[in-house]
Amino acid sequence: MNKKSSKISTSNENYSHLELSNLGKIFFKEKKFIDFRSKGNRSGFEAIKDINLKIEKNTFVSIIGPSGCGKSTLLNLIAGLQAPTSGKIVIDGQAIKGPGPDRGVIFQNYALMPWLTTIQNIEFALNTVFPAKTKADVKERARKYLRMVGLEKASNKFPKELSGGMKQRVAIARALSINPNMLLMDEPFGALDALTRSYLQDELLSIWRKNKVTVVLITHSIEEALLLSDKIVLMSSGPSAIISEEISVDLERPRDREKIEQDPNYLKIKMRLEKHLLRETRAVEEVT
Amino acid sequence: MNKAISTRLTFAVAFLSLLIFIILWQVIAQQGLLVKNFPGSFKTIGSLIWWVSDPFFDNGPNDLGIGTNLLISLRRVLIGYSLAVLVAIPLGVLMGMSKLAQSSLNPYVQLLKPVSPLAWLPVGLFVFRNSEITGIFVIFITSIWPTLINTAFGVASINPDYLRVSKSLGASKSTTIRRVILPAIMPNILAGMRISMGTAWLVIVAAEMLLGTGIGYFIWNEWNNLSLENIFVAIIIIGFTGFILDQFFGFLQDKFDYSI
Repeated sequence: MNKKSSKISTSNENYSHLELSNLGKIFFKEKKFIDFRSKGNRSGFEAIKDINLKIEKNTFVSIIGPSGCGKSTLLNLIAGLQAPTSGKIVIDGQAIKGPGPDRGVIFQNYALMPWLTTIQNIEFALNTVFPAKTKADVKERARKYLRMVGLEKASNKFPKELSGGMKQRVAIARALSINPNMLLMDEPFGALDALTRSYLQDELLSIWRKNKVTVVLITHSIEEALLLSDKIVLMSSGPSAIISEEISVDLERPRDREKIEQDPNYLKIKMRLEKHLLRETRAVEEVT
Repeated sequence: MNKAISTRLTFAVAFLSLLIFIILWQVIAQQGLLVKNFPGSFKTIGSLIWWVSDPFFDNGPNDLGIGTNLLISLRRVLIGYSLAVLVAIPLGVLMGMSKLAQSSLNPYVQLLKPVSPLAWLPVGLFVFRNSEITGIFVIFITSIWPTLINTAFGVASINPDYLRVSKSLGASKSTTIRRVILPAIMPNILAGMRISMGTAWLVIVAAEMLLGTGIGYFIWNEWNNLSLENIFVAIIIIGFTGFILDQFFGFLQDKFDYSI
């Protein structure tokens, strides 16, 4: 890009894709309708606090931390599914006000609608995001994304007829079909067996190479984070979890899961992550 | 055990048990072991055949064929029940979605649900001054609670993942209700509708004893004729009809069973 064009181009170029500043979330207990015991005290649970994070366009970032540290809360905030108690979420220089189709969300339990077939699940997303598209257009596009995850033949199957790995591939196809520029994944492979998980990780990497998107991945797995990410964000144990460290993963791409484990750099980062997670997990376990 | 053999055996056992029941009934009645003049099974079966062979005659309101009376009852149930479902589902969705609706309506639901619908019969007669509409009104009141409560419960306990998907796509409230909430709670709605139909079919018999015409009135009329065997005929027909209605909802529930 030459100087002139960079001047003309929008100021968005100066922003990171996603910027979190002083983000915090406190959950207040909601009073149930018939609940005479709790007398309306608004004591809250502070899940996360003072989260500051910048994520660059088209990078792959993993967020890792001990159980219950508020990783999912953080992702829900970025997705706009929950509103932060304090702080700001800025995407492309614009503070977000809620959810939007610029962000595709993938959940741990796939969240496919069981009354819809595979292709209808994707069509539902497309019809919701692009109401002006014709039926044929929607069908064609849904088919294209099913093909991308290798499930074109399963298009008329219901979710209950699919394996966990296939369900998650449908969910990935659904999230990408609306053409988001950010993919938010909440422990997407956590419920899968080890082999299926490896397969889907490779699949995700190849999809990410072809569809340029920024990925924010919540994970428990150090190996998964190392294999996939450009940057790993470490969170402290909750409540009131903070970001304790950001680690760049300077490993060459494309990465091969066998070769990468020989890399001294890989081992160095892995040791560091393990030490951190162990320390934070100990903090959780010894408090409770 | 082979499945075909086991089905055949089940039928054989059921048939045998029926045969024993019929014989015992006949013996007990014939010997006057229970009370004098208690109709035996042969007499009852005879009148069942008589009523069923010409079910739709009409010799005035006190002498209608059993089929005609059955259709009258079914019509009242279907109208009252359908109206109830049309009210209960939207109201249930509203109660499940909105804390305000839940808080303001729940006290009435909880207070009225345990009341026998027959208590509304005099109210209906006073307001409508028409036994037909009163019957429908009583069935309406009967049918509304199970469907309403099940629908509201379904919405309140819907898998939050579905709502999160819908929200993350930026779906409007009406899209979410039509495309996500309603299909997701179909099993709850159908379970409620099944209970509603069961209760409505119970209540119509009692209500019609007071209203005139219908299968319930048929029983009352045969009591006045001291024809116990005809009452047994009515009991058999009411039971059979209720069974068919229930099976229909069982079939629908299977269709909308999303579980793995």
